[in-house]
Amino acid sequence: MAYGMLQLVPIIIVGAMFALFIISGLRNRSNQASQYRFIGSYTGRVGIGAGIACNWMSAASFLGLAGVFYLKGYFAMAYVVGWTGGYVLLLVLMATQIRRFGKFTTPDFVGFRYESDAARTLAALISIVISIIYCVAQFRGIALLVSWLLGIDYIPAVVVGTILFVSYVVVSGALGVVRNLKLQYFVLIITFILPLMLLTRKLGYFWILPQFGYGAAIGELQQQFDFNWSDPFGATTLYEWLALCFTLMFGTAGLPHVLSRFYMVPGIRDARWGVAWGLFFIALIYWSAPAYGVLARLFEARNGISLNMTGADAADMIALSAAGLGGLPLWVVGILAAGGLSAAFSASAGLLMSGSASFSYDLYPRLIRPGVSERDKVVAAKGFFLVLAAIVMLLTFQPWGMIAEIAAFAFAVAGNTIFPAFLLGIWWPRANATGVISGMMAGLCISFAPLFIGNSLPFISQAIPFTSSAFIGAPLVIIIMVCASLLTAPPSAAIRHFIRREVHDCPEN
Amino acid sequence: MGEASSERDPGFLTPHGATMRAEVRVIKYILSGWLIAIVGFQLFAYLLEVNYSELLLTDLTFFNLPIQFWLSGQLLPLWFIILCVLFNIWMDRHSVQSREGSLRFRIKPVSGEDE
Repeated sequence: MAYGMLQLVPIIIVGAMFALFIISGLRNRSNQASQYRFIGSYTGRVGIGAGIACNWMSAASFLGLAGVFYLKGYFAMAYVVGWTGGYVLLLVLMATQIRRFGKFTTPDFVGFRYESDAARTLAALISIVISIIYCVAQFRGIALLVSWLLGIDYIPAVVVGTILFVSYVVVSGALGVVRNLKLQYFVLIITFILPLMLLTRKLGYFWILPQFGYGAAIGELQQQFDFNWSDPFGATTLYEWLALCFTLMFGTAGLPHVLSRFYMVPGIRDARWGVAWGLFFIALIYWSAPAYGVLARLFEARNGISLNMTGADAADMIALSAAGLGGLPLWVVGILAAGGLSAAFSASAGLLMSGSASFSYDLYPRLIRPGVSERDKVVAAKGFFLVLAAIVMLLTFQPWGMIAEIAAFAFAVAGNTIFPAFLLGIWWPRANATGVISGMMAGLCISFAPLFIGNSLPFISQAIPFTSSAFIGAPLVIIIMVCASLLTAPPSAAIRHFIRREVHDCPEN
Repeated sequence: MGEASSERDPGFLTPHGATMRAEVRVIKYILSGWLIAIVGFQLFAYLLEVNYSELLLTDLTFFNLPIQFWLSGQLLPLWFIILCVLFNIWMDRHSVQSREGSLRFRIKPVSGEDE
């Protein structure tokens, strides 16, 4: 795959795809009066599922996962299992109950359930931190794609990518574009699976279901190139695998922009079935992603290219490289790039809007300007959106890992803070404001400890790697919340009555 | 009021009422199936690797995929979808039953008419 030159055909395809989304969004606007605006509209359970999947698909799913497979082999299966298994937790423990609380954002939920402005403010701050971290992964993906499309270096590509992203959101907002989530999901899945089908067909494998067809490539790598995939825990330990997997699952059930999907669905039954459909749509991507990593290895082995274990940039672009090395036409590589860019833009927009809403509705009127008008809150949200984009851009200049690893860190923070707050908030009425504040503070410390003191205390980064800290962190935070709650006064009778009657439908004592 | 009233609070470990007890029971079944599958498959792959080295893992394939790839990468996501569908079907039936039960409780039958 050529670097350092302008990729005209892929640029045209990327432009055409974004034009399609904008035109479709404008038609949606005229067809329906929706209050969801850029967050997206949906109808029916399949539509809710497409909304959940579209909201979920990001640069981490589209580009990052294939890169981890390419570098780490079976270890990357922890991402597949973690990012799908979390939806079971979300469905059975939270989806129905969150809907019954009737709150619209994570800080809203925490503030209402724990009857505390301090807890609400802390939840808002944590939501912003999670949005920023997760967005760094998206911006890294955007920058790598822009770097390839325009033939420029990484740092200028970060700046250009940020400008393109902000322009897209501003233009979409100004035109009143309503995202057509079904169309967007359909386009994304086609752009991901079509190149894979073409690649496996070219290799003479079972191309109709490339999710199975790539098995032949593993066999060929083993037999002809002595490349061993049958050593699942050779380079990593079982503990590392399970710690990452459970961290991603706890994080999935605690990510604010994932949880927000359930506040807005029309009914409880729709929320539940929407999760099942969403999981199916998400699984379609994860059944396919490993194939790109494996096929890239095969093409490199055939061409005598040795594996570069330190090339994080190359690994994150491996899906596109596989298509290029496989000899697919440039327009096919172009649609893969367009899909990746669209997924990253869409995820970033959702995250930064969620972060700026947390600022303008929870922090700004409480800490900075009490009594501010609704109009000023909207202005503050727009301003903070730009500030957040600038912060993310600066952090993306020197990211702390591959796309999937950065995203995993965001999941670890969510798993250590929001997940325990929601879990005990729903399932243990005795949890109180002191408990949740202590728990969320402890969760933040646990999440950031491997980054800040991991070098001086290597035991910390071995026991709780920064991508996998919630495996130990989440249970620890739950214990802290339980102890702190039991040592202080219980929540009011009103909220406990609400949980008993409205959330769990229990009879009066 | 604290402890005395908190004892009456329903929770995951202390569900109250038929509806919540039934819901918690099915959640426990689903989560058991979820946990056993995730940990079990990894232990299976780990024990195969430790006890039989790569020989068995190389030979054991499904649709050309090494068995551990198929179990974790293909079967587990499918299993999660099945668990979600089973949970939803149970919840749908359960909510219909409990609604019918509450209607029977609330609506007084006209005298001489069957319930």
